Amino acid sequence: MSETLARPGLRVRPAAYGGAAAGLVLLALPFYLDRFWLQAGLFAMAAALGAIGINLLTGATGQLSMGHAFFLAVGAYGYCALAGEGTDGLAGLGLPGWLAAVLAVVLAGLAGGVFSPIAGRLHGAYLGIATLALIFIGQHVLFNAHDLTGGYNGRAVPPLSLFGLAFDDTELLVAQVPFGAVEKLWYLGLALLLAGVLFARGVLRGRPGRAMNAIRDHRIAAGVMGIPVARHRAAVFVLSSMYAGLAGVLLALVFQRTVPEYFGMALSLEYLAMIVIGGLGSVAGAVAGGVFVSLLPQLLTRYSDALPLVSAPGTGGIAPGEAARYLYGAAVVAVVLFLPGGLARLAARKPGPSEPPEAPETPTPTEPPGETR
Amino acid sequence: MSTFAEFLINGVSLGSIYALIALGFVVIFRATEVVNFAHASLLLAGGYVTAVLHDDIGFWPALLAGIAGAAVVGAAVEFLVMRRHRGSDHSVLAIVTIGVDILLATELTRRIGTDILALGDPWGDAVVTVGPVTVAQTRIAALLAAALLITAFLLAFRYTSWGVAMRAAAENQETAALMGIRLGRVSLGAWAVAGGLAAVAALFLTVFPTPGLERATSLAALKAFPAAILGGLDSTTGALVGGLLVGVTESLATGYQGDLAFLGRGIGDLAPYLVMVAVLLIRPAGLFGTKELARV
Amino acid sequence: MNHRRQAVRGLAAALAALVALTAAGCSSKAKTGDGKQTGAGGVKTGKGVTDKAITLGALTDMTGVYATLGKSVTQAQQLYVKQVNAAGGICGRQLELTVRDHGYDPQKALAAYTELEAGVVGYPQFIGSPFVAAVKQRVDARDKGLVLPQAWSASLLGSPYIRVLGSTYDVETINAVDFLLTEKGLRAGDRLGHVYFEGDYGENALKGSKYAAEKAGLTVVEQKIKPTDNDMSAQVAALKQAGVKAVVISAGPRQAASLVGVAAATGLKVPVVGNNSAFAPQLLGTQAGPALEKMYWFASPSLPVGADTPVAKKLVADYRAAYPGEALDNGIVAGWTAASVFGEALKKACADKDLTREGVGKALLTLTSHDAGFGMTHDLGDPKAPSSRESVIVQPDKSVPGGMRTVRQPFVSDAAKSYTP
Repeated sequence: MSETLARPGLRVRPAAYGGAAAGLVLLALPFYLDRFWLQAGLFAMAAALGAIGINLLTGATGQLSMGHAFFLAVGAYGYCALAGEGTDGLAGLGLPGWLAAVLAVVLAGLAGGVFSPIAGRLHGAYLGIATLALIFIGQHVLFNAHDLTGGYNGRAVPPLSLFGLAFDDTELLVAQVPFGAVEKLWYLGLALLLAGVLFARGVLRGRPGRAMNAIRDHRIAAGVMGIPVARHRAAVFVLSSMYAGLAGVLLALVFQRTVPEYFGMALSLEYLAMIVIGGLGSVAGAVAGGVFVSLLPQLLTRYSDALPLVSAPGTGGIAPGEAARYLYGAAVVAVVLFLPGGLARLAARKPGPSEPPEAPETPTPTEPPGETR
Repeated sequence: MSTFAEFLINGVSLGSIYALIALGFVVIFRATEVVNFAHASLLLAGGYVTAVLHDDIGFWPALLAGIAGAAVVGAAVEFLVMRRHRGSDHSVLAIVTIGVDILLATELTRRIGTDILALGDPWGDAVVTVGPVTVAQTRIAALLAAALLITAFLLAFRYTSWGVAMRAAAENQETAALMGIRLGRVSLGAWAVAGGLAAVAALFLTVFPTPGLERATSLAALKAFPAAILGGLDSTTGALVGGLLVGVTESLATGYQGDLAFLGRGIGDLAPYLVMVAVLLIRPAGLFGTKELARV
Repeated sequence: MNHRRQAVRGLAAALAALVALTAAGCSSKAKTGDGKQTGAGGVKTGKGVTDKAITLGALTDMTGVYATLGKSVTQAQQLYVKQVNAAGGICGRQLELTVRDHGYDPQKALAAYTELEAGVVGYPQFIGSPFVAAVKQRVDARDKGLVLPQAWSASLLGSPYIRVLGSTYDVETINAVDFLLTEKGLRAGDRLGHVYFEGDYGENALKGSKYAAEKAGLTVVEQKIKPTDNDMSAQVAALKQAGVKAVVISAGPRQAASLVGVAAATGLKVPVVGNNSAFAPQLLGTQAGPALEKMYWFASPSLPVGADTPVAKKLVADYRAAYPGEALDNGIVAGWTAASVFGEALKKACADKDLTREGVGKALLTLTSHDAGFGMTHDLGDPKAPSSRESVIVQPDKSVPGGMRTVRQPFVSDAAKSYTP
């Protein structure tokens, strides 16, 4: 932000003001929206964080990962286990919430680090399906390690407290609006997302980002050019897992209960869909894709009666849940067909005379040459 | 001992079905280097066509229709979607097939609804008993069908011009194109063949001992992923060995779950993945896969 | 850097203005009383109740793994609402049922719960015990809307607002084992196979079978499966090797069909009993049909849909008229029972002139012998206990509507009486 604002000339202003206005609206929303929308927004924020993570790995570095849901689970359950008091008969260390959240993210990173030697040996489709194994192993543990995970019905998530402010449902009146868990978490989510976006941008625009793209485009050539390929791949794997862990912690806080059912293969596929729809390798794209994929079904369900073709459940016709699946399946196919580069490219391409040209170091997903053999 | 034999035979017959599905992955991967995540839907489509038609036109014509139907769906996916993307990154293409899978699976599950559809096969619940070991006839049929089809493919890859074209395309697309091989046709053919194979697999997945075709049938296709990978994604032999390995592992792990209780019960579904990870650690391209050679 | 400071200052000012607006009452969210008021007929009302209508929520699964159950339950409840409204409604108000399909996805389930929470008095349907568990804290502490889940797990007991209708899986399994002992020749010292789903349902049932086995001197041979397993060959082989004399199955209809079919074909000729979720009438059309009719029974918390009671007969007739061509299964009974219990609680609450959520909750506690017309009386006085410990043993039978014939009328086994979850 500061970089754009510091640029002289009138040409920058409209974008800057637009951003400020959008930020303002986001900050004010908890005062107006009801719990349903805030919760949907928080799901979208968590999805965006997770999508940034997998976009660093799959989009920017070209490592297909289908195990993202596993690292989300590590974050979510890690937080519960570290922050839990152990009063519900489940293992808990009773750490303060903020420390537990930080450690849960670190834990997800560690899990990524442990898996990365395996990941380092594999390429392409082999890596994708090997990471699929993580999902199955993860779910097996979630279902069976009762003392740690609570089994099938999951475990309650202890509320986070930060500087004496508890992110739970105890009401806090702000300007006569009662602030419950979602209202408070909204600001936390915004802050985390902003930090996540800025950090990922920094990574992608700097040396590591260029190295990652080089690895994606041609792994061996990158190695010949002196890029420590193995080290970079491992580091990206860890970083991506940490993003997933953070998304997992945020999701757990919103859910107030972690359920193993959630962290299945469908979730991993959803994340892949997000980054394709949003735009491979781009941070803004990951955010856009995350918001799109997680909000779409909720919008359709909520307004199912007002939409043609979509009918209320139990009346025959296409149910809203199905309509959402059609749309998002079609979106994945259509985006790759007609909009290579995803939503991010669409925004960048938008005609506008006052728009500054895309910064040259912005990672745009290039179609790598097909003949890598 | 007889129980062990029964587990083993169950595993082998189950494995032969996985091998059929895995062979579909392999055919597509060889021709286009794309991992097809829409395979589960092709399977469901083939089974659905067979299930809907068998009452009217009899089982064998319905099965042929199912194979043809799934082949058409496969070819349509290639023609309408994959063809437009040729040349883009293989992981992107893999993700596109996920999108295709979501579309197809949603439509098919909506059609199947809450029904359990019978396929009208001639074997019924008949079993063959040899000494203390009992095996369902359907499973013997599955084993024979898989062996037959896989042999046919091994031969076809080696001796027919289609097989040569496919091998050439797998080796180097550009060179193959320059040599006059129509990549489009090769890839179209691969998708159609994979669809047909999936329909055959769907038949054996939904007949006795399973109650019939229903919305969750396609989930079984997931077990063919480890099969295809641990055999080697570009190897026909690998598909067979991988399929059998997964089937036997699953069957034994389930059968002896009482003795494996320390790992948590219900280890049967997980075991194939554990074997897969173990194999990949030693051979990153699978048991029979070609090691990637690269030139910069 | 000037621009930046300006921007920050402008932002702060604008934000302050927006917040001030809410304070001035421009946000509908700003606190203005507790929303409770006294409406028509001197009845106290709260969330979900107006002078004209009482809104109920149904959180169902019509596109996920429990689609079969969800469809039947929802249609039965829509039928109930229609009939009540045709008869003049409750408390001079029409009933409205808002249905949300979550497709067995936790995120959608929670979203749907939150969406409906602001506008319904309670939920006569909530499918998916993990999701019910997920909102339990909120329901107990803040929302206090009555939830009648279509899941019979003992882990859901204990909340004053989340009430399980009928016997839980553990109790049901104890009764099922009793049936094997008294009528199918299972004796002390025998081995009893138990094939069960990973998760709440299966593990709760396993608790029951273990308890019953301990009481009767049996040994349980466990086989845990996943909902995606459709082929029970390996399980049957293992049970055969263990020499079981009977099998309990706590899984889905498909697994039961496969288990019974394989057992019959491979010569494991022992009685098999299932829980109420382990049968669907669609199975009778499959190849396992004949074997199911011969050696399969299942326990159910109420008489089957084709039962010979006036309510059941009328329900079947009305349901067939409203949804021609739809399968008749026990989901209809479950849905109808839940809707009628909810309706009964609303009527009581109306008589007490308190249609708030607390009022409905209180009214429900006074229903100590509610008969929904399927052979059972429900006692809703104690939140810590299931509303009934009775089970019915049912046998699949093609010739009966719904494909189910009652072979043992409602009973509570001695073991189930002494059992505490």
